[in-house]
Amino acid sequence: MNAKQELWAPVIRAKDTIPRIMFDVVLALIPCWLAGIIFFGFRAFWIVLLSAVTAVLAEALFMRYPLRLRSVFGDGSSLVTGLIVGLILPPTVPWWIPVVGSVVAVAIGKLVFGGLGNNIFNPALVGRAVLLLAFTAPMVKYVRPFDAVTEATPLLTMRSFDWALIWGNVSGSIGETSVIAILIGAAYLLYRRIIDWRIPVGYVITAFAAAYVWDLDPWVAVTAGGLLFAAVYMATDMVTSPVNPMGRLLFGCGCGLLTIMLRKYTSFPEGVTFAILTMNALVPLLDMLTVPVIFGAERSREQRFATTAAVALVIILAWGVLFAINKTVPEGVPVTAEGVYLPLVETLGTDVYETATINDKVYYFTGSREAPEKVAVVGAEQGYHGPIYFYLVLDGSGRIEHLQILTHSDDPGLGSLITRRSFLDQFIGLDTAELAMDVDIQGITGATISSRAVIRGVTGELERFQEAFYGGEEADAGAGYADGVYTAEASGFGGPVKVEVTIDQGKILAVAVLSHRETPGISDEAIRLMPQRITAANSPDVDLVSGATLTSRAISEAVKKALAQATRTEENGANAKEPAVDISSIPDGVYRGTGTGFGGTIVVDVTVSGGKITAIDIVEHADTQFIAQAAFSQMIPAMIEQQTIAVDVRASATLSSKGLLEAVEAALTGKEAK
Amino acid sequence: MIVKGFLSTNQIRDCEKGCVKLLVKSFPRGGGHIPPRKDATKNKPIMVMPAPKLAVIALSQHAGAPCKPLVQVGDRVKLGQKIGDAEPYISAPVHASVSGQVVEIAEKTLLDGTKALCVVIENDGLDETEEQAAQDYSRLPPSQIAGLIREAGIVGLGGAGFPTHVKTEPRKPVDTVLINGAECEPYLTCDHRLMIEQPQKLIEGLKILMQAVGAGQGIIGVELNKPDAIRVLEQVCAEQSYIRVVGLKVKYPQGAEKQLIKAALGREVPSGGLPADVGCIVQNVQTAVAVADAVVRGVGLYQRVITVAGAAVYDPRNVLVRVGTPIQEVIDYCGGMANPAAIVAGGPMTGKLIQDLTAPVTKPLSGILVLSKDEVDYELNLPCIRCARCVDHCPMGLQPNYLADWSSKGLYDQAKRNHIMDCIECGLCSYVCPAKRGLCRSIQAGKQAVRAGKTAV
Repeated sequence: MNAKQELWAPVIRAKDTIPRIMFDVVLALIPCWLAGIIFFGFRAFWIVLLSAVTAVLAEALFMRYPLRLRSVFGDGSSLVTGLIVGLILPPTVPWWIPVVGSVVAVAIGKLVFGGLGNNIFNPALVGRAVLLLAFTAPMVKYVRPFDAVTEATPLLTMRSFDWALIWGNVSGSIGETSVIAILIGAAYLLYRRIIDWRIPVGYVITAFAAAYVWDLDPWVAVTAGGLLFAAVYMATDMVTSPVNPMGRLLFGCGCGLLTIMLRKYTSFPEGVTFAILTMNALVPLLDMLTVPVIFGAERSREQRFATTAAVALVIILAWGVLFAINKTVPEGVPVTAEGVYLPLVETLGTDVYETATINDKVYYFTGSREAPEKVAVVGAEQGYHGPIYFYLVLDGSGRIEHLQILTHSDDPGLGSLITRRSFLDQFIGLDTAELAMDVDIQGITGATISSRAVIRGVTGELERFQEAFYGGEEADAGAGYADGVYTAEASGFGGPVKVEVTIDQGKILAVAVLSHRETPGISDEAIRLMPQRITAANSPDVDLVSGATLTSRAISEAVKKALAQATRTEENGANAKEPAVDISSIPDGVYRGTGTGFGGTIVVDVTVSGGKITAIDIVEHADTQFIAQAAFSQMIPAMIEQQTIAVDVRASATLSSKGLLEAVEAALTGKEAK
Repeated sequence: MIVKGFLSTNQIRDCEKGCVKLLVKSFPRGGGHIPPRKDATKNKPIMVMPAPKLAVIALSQHAGAPCKPLVQVGDRVKLGQKIGDAEPYISAPVHASVSGQVVEIAEKTLLDGTKALCVVIENDGLDETEEQAAQDYSRLPPSQIAGLIREAGIVGLGGAGFPTHVKTEPRKPVDTVLINGAECEPYLTCDHRLMIEQPQKLIEGLKILMQAVGAGQGIIGVELNKPDAIRVLEQVCAEQSYIRVVGLKVKYPQGAEKQLIKAALGREVPSGGLPADVGCIVQNVQTAVAVADAVVRGVGLYQRVITVAGAAVYDPRNVLVRVGTPIQEVIDYCGGMANPAAIVAGGPMTGKLIQDLTAPVTKPLSGILVLSKDEVDYELNLPCIRCARCVDHCPMGLQPNYLADWSSKGLYDQAKRNHIMDCIECGLCSYVCPAKRGLCRSIQAGKQAVRAGKTAV
């Protein structure tokens, strides 16, 4: 920083210097840093510190500053860049992300342009853009504050405004979550006259209006996704924003408009990064178009059109950018047949997920096939004009976590209202048992058919999900079916296929195809092989016979329905059948009884004393140990406390539970086990 | 106590009770606050400095054609005698500031470092003058007033040095004479003291000027950091209904002509135009006082009040000096100096650095600043960070960062198209720049190039 010192009029100057300005910005960033540390722990502290140190050292090395404490900071701008790069990272990133980001920000974002004052693009955003595109996965891995549970950002999870967004108790990048912290910093920067109010105010107001127009919750749009942080600290970067007041206002408005448009129509959930980078490119043009009318001059004809031209330019460019981005979808990313991007990483919370085709449907899930944690699927249902494609995310038990409409062909203002968050949000938290139109889900007036289509579609997907992963009603691991013979039918290729399923000892003993109208020759193999496979696997979910898919599927579906009957009757029957037993009339003593569990008989000893059950001991049982044990430890204390046999059975251990009840009843009534 | 409000007859009566109510105005665009640094001299009455032993009268102390000498070496001259004149309209004669003998007519170094022809008179100490009777100017026609003003060699004493008689003969009708009592530059207090000490002469001069241009109202604009001057002037003005005092918000450059007119009258001088285009003329306080002396007493302009200030001078004060006094002598009169970092002629914002201390005082000089190292800030020319403080503060609404950039790159055409010629060279852009760039300097160079007809390097 060797500057030639010369003396010329004016010989006095204001006290502010560039390092002083940079230092003020650093001060203004501290509340955000602190908020990040509070919410995300010391990891957040280290990431930002590492990022800042790397940026300072990178610039010092590239610019060949002497590596002494005084001069390594240079004019202080690298420190600001480094802090911002760190603050806009998720708290989970590995150490090399802030390092790479800072080096890129300083070297490519600033130095190659000629150093401070010559760069076109915001250096911190250049760093972030490179990280986002090159290392997407770690860059979208967000966690909840305090317990660090993976959670997508509020833009995807929050349907309507929540005060947590103001305090910052939401997932997000380190410094971006707390509106309060950002406003404190903004107040300081405005007081010190470092930022022009026009940029953040224009940004926020335009974003608010645009969000409202495009049917996103405007309060969430403005307080989530780092918009406020960008509006205060990044869009206002002096070097990359216009110098004229009107230019700055338009710049802020353009950023706000682009941010919302990018969020709505592209895969970037936050939209901020590329919105600001695009507007940065417009700055020289904005400067030219917004030259103020000088003192004593009339507004020239060019100037009269210039502002209009500038506004038109921003809007045209926004559409152009949108068009370009929408056409390019990142490679290797799941898309539907219509080319729509699926936000799998954001909604599943990780980029490590399984893909499986079950029953001709592609499921994306985390966890295992047997015990999925989150499942995402694309469904379609005929709407009013054409198919409605929707994207559904369920948790392991089939509860809806996320629903969004991908594409549809229904009318704007009518059917297209199904894309409204107010409609879709109703689905959140529901599972199959609860969906019924206008009872659980309020349809949209004037869009009945479209609403119904969505409900139907979602219900269908839920059922298919249950079948795909759990083979029908939630069956216990290792639980069997009720003995008996059941018939059911399902649609095959040429007509209904009727099957008979025999259950013995809780397992499928035999499957027989009673009648069908399938094509002879083609369907023979399926009719022969499917029952065998199903019996052998004790489950209808077996590989279909190739060349006779529809017939195989029909057989499988029919067996499923039959099994559903088996489990259902069992379920309903069991609890209703329990006769009341008058325990107080039983004389003291120890009584033995037996019942039938899953794997064999259960033998219990029931101790009665003073007209009350005082103890129930398991003498022997043949069931799966941990499952039966769960049932016993839940039900035995319940029976003793409530002094009745009519206690709840243990879910997922139905047969063991019922076997226990049978045995205790038998002991108390003196009946022999069945 | 000064309160915002509207001046009415009731309020004028209140003036006499000691409570002053003023119209407070300002110019809307740009401008900035600069610490005034006037405490050292604002309460010091004007002291009369004794005449120098050798008076070096420059033959060009004004904007316009330089004078030719009317005397020769060896001639005896009287105090106030005309010793140089020029033919062109835009010029003003120069007068002897001492009585004595002309010892030399030669090129001497002036304040800005250039050399020009000067008449050197050796002071005989007698201060002999030509007797003049007091004139009643109220019956004089305007052209004669203008002639008297010219004969007295009066030029704009605010620093521009424009021949005053030209201003009193405007080509367009004028309804207001505006006296510039803003004195917005730091350190300078000469106009301030003059307003306090000679208000009657000021009003008299104002009235003469009003008569010369046929104006119906006279306004004295004073910045609010001079409450004592405002109070004094208000009382003197109370007698006239057509002369009043307007309070001006303390904002640099309130004393710039265009900004003053905008603030006091609400009129905007068009780009490339003159105050007469909006029906007014502006004169400095000292110029008005000199006009009174010239027209009423026929006294030629040979002395003026300046402020000598700065931390490096021992005795800062307001001094009435004779034109032609060498700067060194003035500083010595004020106690001498110690380790100055810079010596500036005029104000710190627009003044020029004095290279040669033997240079003589000229009519447009308003102050001598002897500044220490702590008071002075150097130009560092760090990279422009586009903070736009210069754009925000420019009173003319220009973009100094771009203009300076284009000027230094030789893109004069571009600069001209972007109104570089509208720059009033107030220096505020350089003042506020955190990168300490020489913006005003580059723009001045650019303007010179444009004036010289250059288009591009």
